[in-house]
Amino acid sequence: MSFNLSALAYKNIRRKFFRSMAIAAAVMVVAATLFSVTTVMDSVETSLARGTKRLGADVMVVPAASESKAMASLLAGEPSTYYMDRGIEEKIRKIEGVKKVAGQLYLKTATYKCCSTGDMFIVGFEPDNDFTITPWLSESLKKPIAPREAILGRSIPAYTTGSSFQVFGKVITIIGLLEATGMQFIDNALYMPIDSFKGMVETSDNGTFNIFDRINNEISAILVQTDPEYAPRRVAIFIESRIEGVKAIVSEDVTASVRKQLFTLLKSILSITVILWIMSVLLISVVFSMIVNERQRELGLLRALGAKKRDIFKLIIAEAAVLSMAGGLIGVSLGGLFLYLFRGQVKAALNVPYMWPQPLNLVLLVLICLCASLLTGTLAALYPALKSMRMEPYAAIRGGE
Amino acid sequence: MLEITAVRKNYKIGNDIVKAVNNAGFKVEKGDSIMIFGHSGSGKTTLLSIIGGLTRPDSGTVKYGDTDLWSLSDNELSEFRNRRINFIFQFSSLIPTLTVLENILLPTAFNKSGDRNRNFDAKDLLTMVGLKDKFNAYPSQLSGGQQRRAAIARSFINNPEIILADEPTGDLDEETEAEMLALCKSMNVDKGITFIIVTHNTDIAKQCNKHFVMNRGILTPKAMG
Repeated sequence: MSFNLSALAYKNIRRKFFRSMAIAAAVMVVAATLFSVTTVMDSVETSLARGTKRLGADVMVVPAASESKAMASLLAGEPSTYYMDRGIEEKIRKIEGVKKVAGQLYLKTATYKCCSTGDMFIVGFEPDNDFTITPWLSESLKKPIAPREAILGRSIPAYTTGSSFQVFGKVITIIGLLEATGMQFIDNALYMPIDSFKGMVETSDNGTFNIFDRINNEISAILVQTDPEYAPRRVAIFIESRIEGVKAIVSEDVTASVRKQLFTLLKSILSITVILWIMSVLLISVVFSMIVNERQRELGLLRALGAKKRDIFKLIIAEAAVLSMAGGLIGVSLGGLFLYLFRGQVKAALNVPYMWPQPLNLVLLVLICLCASLLTGTLAALYPALKSMRMEPYAAIRGGE
Repeated sequence: MLEITAVRKNYKIGNDIVKAVNNAGFKVEKGDSIMIFGHSGSGKTTLLSIIGGLTRPDSGTVKYGDTDLWSLSDNELSEFRNRRINFIFQFSSLIPTLTVLENILLPTAFNKSGDRNRNFDAKDLLTMVGLKDKFNAYPSQLSGGQQRRAAIARSFINNPEIILADEPTGDLDEETEAEMLALCKSMNVDKGITFIIVTHNTDIAKQCNKHFVMNRGILTPKAMG
């Protein structure tokens, strides 16, 4: 029959239950905040990276006057329509450093029950030139896309492959779904070949669409894939200098701008978290100093009975580690629950592309937050633990008198 | 087995130097039971803690056989205490969060050398001190006397060569005190455990074979009439 120190650490934690809970709660607050902020940062980062990649284009050419509208579409997913001469597409194709060109035509539907299922952003694309839409289908198409068929973004609920609904008074069948990107501009749109899209408008029973005359020779945006030997920014300068009235938006610049704005905000929150963390470390350190003072005689007694200095150190650090881990686990769980329950509000508040981190990243974030929690308690208990282990046994026993 | 030579220990209190132990020395043979008398503050407990490896003397040596106790490293000293010495303190020395049985087993937590077989059985010891029905009780559920009996039982758990006792029967009633003294005597005679006891109790003095008096840090032999 024997006894081990872990049991003593466990029983010491239980001895002053509310004090132990207060220590765990301090770590919990830090862990919950840290996990929420880092998860949101990672989510935005992942989403931006994926969205940029998903956009498929290095440069997006739009009418110069509509640059802000285009940016709003890209970042906040606000459906916007703008047009320019379709002949620009051919001009861009000839510019140095341009590898592929794909035109897109944007249109918003009206929210009238007579002719449309709802307010929807429609993207007309060129199946023959396309390099931005079909590669991102969650399942490849078995045959070329036909008139009255469409591909749907991931964020439009209630529709799956094979389902149909009305657009411009015509029944459209969904033949494919795009992978989610977190960029609402991409996830919230309906994608159809420009030709069938135009045909639908021309033959619409509702002849009131004022865009009818405009769209035959116009296009909204031209997506450009650059030659790997040319920097997208350089190609963008070529385009703007050779074609009047257009703005060449470099994808990387869009994400960089968002990243800069958002991360400034999140870094402020992270700074507050760091201050919170330092305060927690100090608070827990004070509490552990009190604990060690209270137990001075007991610690002296343990030394008299054969405990080595490192046993005393381990005993105190073990208590701190268990409480920190418990606080960390609860904090990370609460942080995750908060992000899950309020995901809509978080998305709306940030007003930027947002999606959950990849599972591996999520596991990594959980581990980092748990390590930070563990560090909180152990670091806080370090000085009291060192102080008590250095105490001479007799002095410790006398000190408790 | 134990030789204490010219041990000194001073404390500084304000501007004054207090000579807690002043040139103390004596020899102890295996199986001795030694008693140290003295008034409060005479330095008895300090001397006991020096012999037990709990506080370092300013000078002098404490030798267990060939081992100079205070030349050992801190780890070696801890191991030495754990295997060869045990204590009965004058205060209630049970850990409040542990049951009586766990308190008795506490020294085994620090013995990782695998020679635990030499230990006494904790339940047998508790039975011997009359706490058979208190294995799972917590110290707060025991009287002061019962706590002292549990502490005495714990002092035997690691089958030590020497037990250093500071007023070991202080909280006990006469009957229990007699039982505890009988137990200590049997451990002394049958198991050869050496006792060094600091006490005012003359009943204990009668059971000891060597007697000393400590006065203002100075230790002198005392003849018992």
